[in-house]
Amino acid sequence: MSAVLSVQHLAVRYGDLVGVADISIAVPAGSVVALLGANGAGKTTTLNAIAGLVPPAAGRIAWQGRDIAGRPAHAIVAQGLALSPEGWRLFVQQSVEQNLRLGATVLADRSRAAAMLERVYALFPRLAERRRQRAGTLSGGERQMLALGRALMSDPQLLMLDEPSLGLAPAVVERMYEALVQLNETGLPLLLAEQSVELALELADYAYVLQTGRTVLEGPAEELAGNTEVQRIYMGIA
Amino acid sequence: MRIGLGVAAVVLLLAAPAAVGDPFIQRVAALVLLTAISASAWNLIGGYAGQVSIGHAVFFGAGAYASLLVFKLFAWPPIAGAPFGIAVSLVLALLIGVPTFRLRGHYFSMATIAVAELIRIVVGNWPLLGAAVGLMGPAVPRGLADLSFLSPLPYFYIFAAVEAALLWVTWAMARSRTGYYLRAVRAGERAALSLGVPVLRYKLVALLLSAGFTALAGSLYAVMVGYVDPESVLGILVSVQMVIVAALGGAGTLFGPVLGAVILVPVQQATNAAFGGSGSGLTYIVYGAIILAIARFRPGGLLELLHWRPRRAA
Repeated sequence: MSAVLSVQHLAVRYGDLVGVADISIAVPAGSVVALLGANGAGKTTTLNAIAGLVPPAAGRIAWQGRDIAGRPAHAIVAQGLALSPEGWRLFVQQSVEQNLRLGATVLADRSRAAAMLERVYALFPRLAERRRQRAGTLSGGERQMLALGRALMSDPQLLMLDEPSLGLAPAVVERMYEALVQLNETGLPLLLAEQSVELALELADYAYVLQTGRTVLEGPAEELAGNTEVQRIYMGIA
Repeated sequence: MRIGLGVAAVVLLLAAPAAVGDPFIQRVAALVLLTAISASAWNLIGGYAGQVSIGHAVFFGAGAYASLLVFKLFAWPPIAGAPFGIAVSLVLALLIGVPTFRLRGHYFSMATIAVAELIRIVVGNWPLLGAAVGLMGPAVPRGLADLSFLSPLPYFYIFAAVEAALLWVTWAMARSRTGYYLRAVRAGERAALSLGVPVLRYKLVALLLSAGFTALAGSLYAVMVGYVDPESVLGILVSVQMVIVAALGGAGTLFGPVLGAVILVPVQQATNAAFGGSGSGLTYIVYGAIILAIARFRPGGLLELLHWRPRRAA
């Protein structure tokens, strides 16, 4: 299995603060990979570094064989890597459709934006119903759909999701995950950071467990699901 | 119907100063427009892009000094210095923008203050630019090109034309792709970045446009007043005034800066007239009070009142 994305010995520093010390992960084509870990383990920082939102201090980030470490965010999105950020970060004053269209910023061919819009509306009919509504008036579940839909608008070849289940009702999370399964079935690889271990391991093929900025454990999801060590690390108990 | 009313109002406002005939009022009207030009120029970056510059005096001063410097060195009409002032402003804008726009938050604001103060001190000690004394324009007009008029009316119409052009540029930018991205940057820079909006590029475009027009405002000021010194065109009050005028009317709205100028400039002139030289510190107090009032009661500026509707009872 060839990895479309491979991160080797990634380090990120915020001034003197170490955000990520040494993380190595790989995302094989068509797979779902989960990053697990407690708050502050480095999941968000890792995703942000891959997306070009924070510059890596060391390490290699290879996307389809090319090193993209340190490239500007817009160049990385244009190469097919999309991030649905933690906390959604929607443009609450703008309409659902305007939010989605901003997601198509990097598409050189504008007519493709219309096709992507149809695809997103087909995946989330609820968003189509609310296309003229301001994003700020949406419910939590709809906001997550919109963040996900917006990330899809760039027609990515890898979708990164930061805490897709955070703050959502269990029924909503269930529907969210069904949508993710649907997306993955079209061949789109997913890389998700998730605090909810059970959910993540249900969806993922392979998972990495992060602790204070390092990968401390990895393995196929079924194996990690039965591993008591995972629960212990996840809870942050030393 | 609405367009007709708008045209009638504009014609009336344009004709009013000529009809009044009082030179003091005509001068205040011209100053209102000049203030509106610099505040509208500031609004491009500070309002639409949400990047609050507190050092726009540096661009204003570049335009003002360039105008009187070409007169001093080559005896050219002052307005011929405007292109040089604009060019210097664009270079300064790049020097400030490229390093600080990579950072988020208040770094840009702080850098603008630092650069403006630095340049004010340098100019104040530079003999070529008249050091602390400043530069003078032509004492007696040598021809129409000097744009030196006894009556404030010609200035009023020149400024009105420039402001109209600037408002058109602002309007065109706001509804273009650039304006669309700038709104996204203002609402959430991080989100815009993660979607692949080239944030740095669009912030620079807005800053360059803004700096260029601010320099033009500075040149027009120098042409009308015929005298510049470090404090009057490079002082921090010049920068703060642009922020306050735009914020008072409504930053990030097309007509906000105009409304702010219409309110603030007469107040300034009145306090100046009432207290004379002894009241020169009063401007700071008035500005401080306005900042407090806007922040407390109407963060969106006065134009927001137009869009405010009482909530309907359920």
